[in-house]
Amino acid sequence: MTVWPEERTASIDSFNTVDMTINVGPQHPATHGVFRMVLTVDGEVVVDCEPYIGYLHRGLEKLTENHDYRQSMGWWDRTDYLAGICCEQAYCMAVEKLGNIEVPERAEYIRVMMAELSRILSHFMFFGAFGADVGSFGTSFIYAWRERERIYDFFEEVAGDRMFPTYLRPGGVQMDLPDGWEKRVNEILGHIEQGLEDFDGLLTGNEIFVERCRGLSPVSKEQAIDWGLSGPMIRATGLAHDIRRAEPYSVYDRLQFNIPTGKNGDVFDRYMVRMAEAYQSTKIVRQCMEQMPNSGLVLNPDLPKTLRIDEGECYVRTEGTKGEYGVYGLARGGNKPYRMKLRSPSFCNLSALKQMVVGHYVADAVIILGSLDIVLGEVDK
Amino acid sequence: MSNETATAYPGVAALVHKHLGKIPFTASKHSTDVVLHVAPDHFLELVRGLKERRELAFDFLRNVTAIDMTEEGLRAVYHFYSFKHHHSLQVDVNTPPGNPHIPSLTALYSAANWHEREAAEMVGLVFDGHPNPKNLLLDEDVRIHPLLKAHPLQKAELFQGIEDTSAGFKF
Repeated sequence: MTVWPEERTASIDSFNTVDMTINVGPQHPATHGVFRMVLTVDGEVVVDCEPYIGYLHRGLEKLTENHDYRQSMGWWDRTDYLAGICCEQAYCMAVEKLGNIEVPERAEYIRVMMAELSRILSHFMFFGAFGADVGSFGTSFIYAWRERERIYDFFEEVAGDRMFPTYLRPGGVQMDLPDGWEKRVNEILGHIEQGLEDFDGLLTGNEIFVERCRGLSPVSKEQAIDWGLSGPMIRATGLAHDIRRAEPYSVYDRLQFNIPTGKNGDVFDRYMVRMAEAYQSTKIVRQCMEQMPNSGLVLNPDLPKTLRIDEGECYVRTEGTKGEYGVYGLARGGNKPYRMKLRSPSFCNLSALKQMVVGHYVADAVIILGSLDIVLGEVDK
Repeated sequence: MSNETATAYPGVAALVHKHLGKIPFTASKHSTDVVLHVAPDHFLELVRGLKERRELAFDFLRNVTAIDMTEEGLRAVYHFYSFKHHHSLQVDVNTPPGNPHIPSLTALYSAANWHEREAAEMVGLVFDGHPNPKNLLLDEDVRIHPLLKAHPLQKAELFQGIEDTSAGFKF
């Protein structure tokens, strides 16, 4: 069409612009799994965001209701599949609370040690994937993989499986640690500390990374509480809330560690909180190794072959790698729970995505989503 | 007398009774939390008091669980936490069979939005006043409530490939 000179001088306001809808996912590398969001954009700015979840829904709660207490173990570490031990710990604690089951001291220390190694591993995966979101392409991802495989090798030696160890049992852990585990853990911790330093240099030392993350999508304390955020997300706003300290479980009340907090609740703070947390976790692992009884039982020997619980109710909360990992349990007799509900931290953090993304650029929406550190297995149950 | 009150309202429930005594509720305690039992009619009033009274200040909604209690109707279980006073509380709301209506908490807590959508699709609770009452984890067209005790464990597979799911599959 020919444009006549007088029309060419029309001001920008007279242009009729229409909001555009972009579908992201469910198969998209930036969504970290099968997650879909529909963005409505005005030019480059997101004006609306509608998340769709459930692509990985496996009916975890229905399955748990229909199976024996011990049979359900294997499904719970498939929720947060980057830190299976943390999920197993929460589930086992719920069963133990329902049935008043005691756990030997050595088993408690083993659980905490394995859970903290899982936390480090999960945070490494965050650094890798998040770095790739911001634009380091594969570099950060591959560096993260290196440490991850070292920790997984240890998990394999201990439990026989890497990602889904199914190592914990109601009343303790499946078996004792293998010979020479202290040496192996010390070796891994050395590698982890080196790996964290590498990441600090690779990402925190990179001006482009810092400039893209700093000041992006800040969240205030009041907003974080209202939106139901937890874990590193809420600590980034400056609120020093950690279930391990606020409502201690297992042996966390005997361990010394700091709760790293951010200041502005922006994307950069969320990243830094996780970085500092991984360092704290190495401290916790070292303390577990020192304080752990040298020998003793690792599984309560008084448990019957079939666990039957007459009556019980509990809401167990643990500090999962993504936030408050809670398990609500209700037992009304028999060898199966009447109801087991997972309070999934990724689910709650993701529910606030719309509020965090609206008003930012499309390119930043991917970074904001990455900074939530969601695991879709946990979101979809 | 004072002893009796202490057992009727354990822990933080005594504090709630002191400040919100006009609202009828009963209290009990289980292995981890103090539980308040309240009727759906008084639920919103109670939660507003829990959130807005400075002495209680339950500002954080942790979790919402929906349970099918079969002949007793449906139950919604709420967990609250106070960042100010560091205390936590569980609130149970039982709905009578055939009338599964509970007022929505979305106006008080933004976090309630997804929790309530999940509870609604899983057992069929209806949250009055919810801004977006669509399925969340299940397919949007599917009208089943898988966590009802009457829903069989293995039947859901049959739905795949059936075009008209709105025709109603009653379990």
